[in-house]
Amino acid sequence: MEGIAKETWLHRVNPSVKLLLLLGVLIALLFIHNLNVMLLLNIVIIICFCFGTGISRKYALLFFLPFFLLFWSSVLTMALYGKGSTLWWEWGIFRVSEESFFRGVHLGFRALTFGLIGLIFVCTTHPVRLFYSLMQQLHFPPKFAYSFMASIRLLPIIWDEFHTIRMAHQVRGFSPGKGWKGFKRKLSAYAVPLLAQSIRRAYRIAVAMEAKRFKGNQKRTYYYQLSIGKWDLLFLLFLLGITGVVWVGSEWIQLLPNQDVRLI
Amino acid sequence: MKKGLKLTDILVTIVISLVFGVIYKLWSPIYSAVKPIGLHVDQLLYGMWFMAGPLAFLIIRKPGVALLAETAASSGELLMGSEWGLSTLIYGLIQGLLAELILALFRYKKANVLVVSLAAIASCAGSIVFDYFQGYIDALVWWNLGLFFIARFVGSVLIAGVIAYGLAKALEKTGVTGLVRGSTEADVRSLDD
Repeated sequence: MEGIAKETWLHRVNPSVKLLLLLGVLIALLFIHNLNVMLLLNIVIIICFCFGTGISRKYALLFFLPFFLLFWSSVLTMALYGKGSTLWWEWGIFRVSEESFFRGVHLGFRALTFGLIGLIFVCTTHPVRLFYSLMQQLHFPPKFAYSFMASIRLLPIIWDEFHTIRMAHQVRGFSPGKGWKGFKRKLSAYAVPLLAQSIRRAYRIAVAMEAKRFKGNQKRTYYYQLSIGKWDLLFLLFLLGITGVVWVGSEWIQLLPNQDVRLI
Repeated sequence: MKKGLKLTDILVTIVISLVFGVIYKLWSPIYSAVKPIGLHVDQLLYGMWFMAGPLAFLIIRKPGVALLAETAASSGELLMGSEWGLSTLIYGLIQGLLAELILALFRYKKANVLVVSLAAIASCAGSIVFDYFQGYIDALVWWNLGLFFIARFVGSVLIAGVIAYGLAKALEKTGVTGLVRGSTEADVRSLDD
């Protein structure tokens, strides 16, 4: 994700702190059942995403497309098949009631908020800094952290290999056929060589790391030193501020009914 | 022999998982696109998100691999900018833990299609528990909820059980699994001959 966003203050927050705090927010979100509060929160999060992450407009739109798809699919499933007593519309197996519709909309906004919070984290966190911070602040074993970092570096190679295989298939006129058999042939034609090569490569890297006396225990020095500081405090205050704004705001601004969407 | 996972095991597991992380990310739009068809056809596809754990176990066959694989795959998905955001981490952890539990019940000795299917079912159950909190699935009409359960369980067994097993068998033929599994009793015996 690096290189597509300008650096903002969110980039300076310690990745471990950011991860833990945002996970806390995520859990808290599960307890919001009020539609109006959810909508207001969503608007605030969208503003944070657009202006806080420093991401360019082109990429923001690109990321947003699958989010819209998820939003609508979440809304539709619950709206069409959910329980409810105040019937609005019925056609065959579809049965849209007031309750199910609002519950669906709530689910859509919740999914969108979940996704956007994740995206804010990813856009403002460099993977390398994340793993260095996990090792230093949360005492994550280096064996795992360095394996992650090495594996991330392998992904572009795997992507190139995928193209090579596809071109090789085209040149040789490989046609997997149709139906279940065709699917199976196609799957094994791509998955088996890609996975086999990845395993071989990972094995070679591990052997090389061990040959260089990589121990994978805690006592080691780090190239990047990360600490917890003022930006982390600011981030905590920022989250509390958002909570306050949404809390107070929901009393004054009512865009959608102030109702509990759960089954009563 | 030293217990636990060696660097080789961890690195191989994580590489496989990150490949699955990419697949998981690409799978989300497909899943969302199929979802409005209704009747929970989409749930048949859900099993793909359980595949990393069973497959990694079938390749490496050591304790902890399934949990590591599923968690790593979900972090990979997150780093790609997943639509599900940070909740993928929680899903991954629960799914991995439950799959690991099933494999532990068999003491990591059995690696057949039945055991990995059970592990897939356990992952599936874990995902449903979190869905209950997140998605109000109890508020679906009864016949719809029934279809939801059936489709998700069938999909999990097919994808994370049967297809994962088939894929692992195909990988065994390439010989790469020998790199990570270490020596078996048969290998030791062959030295004496």
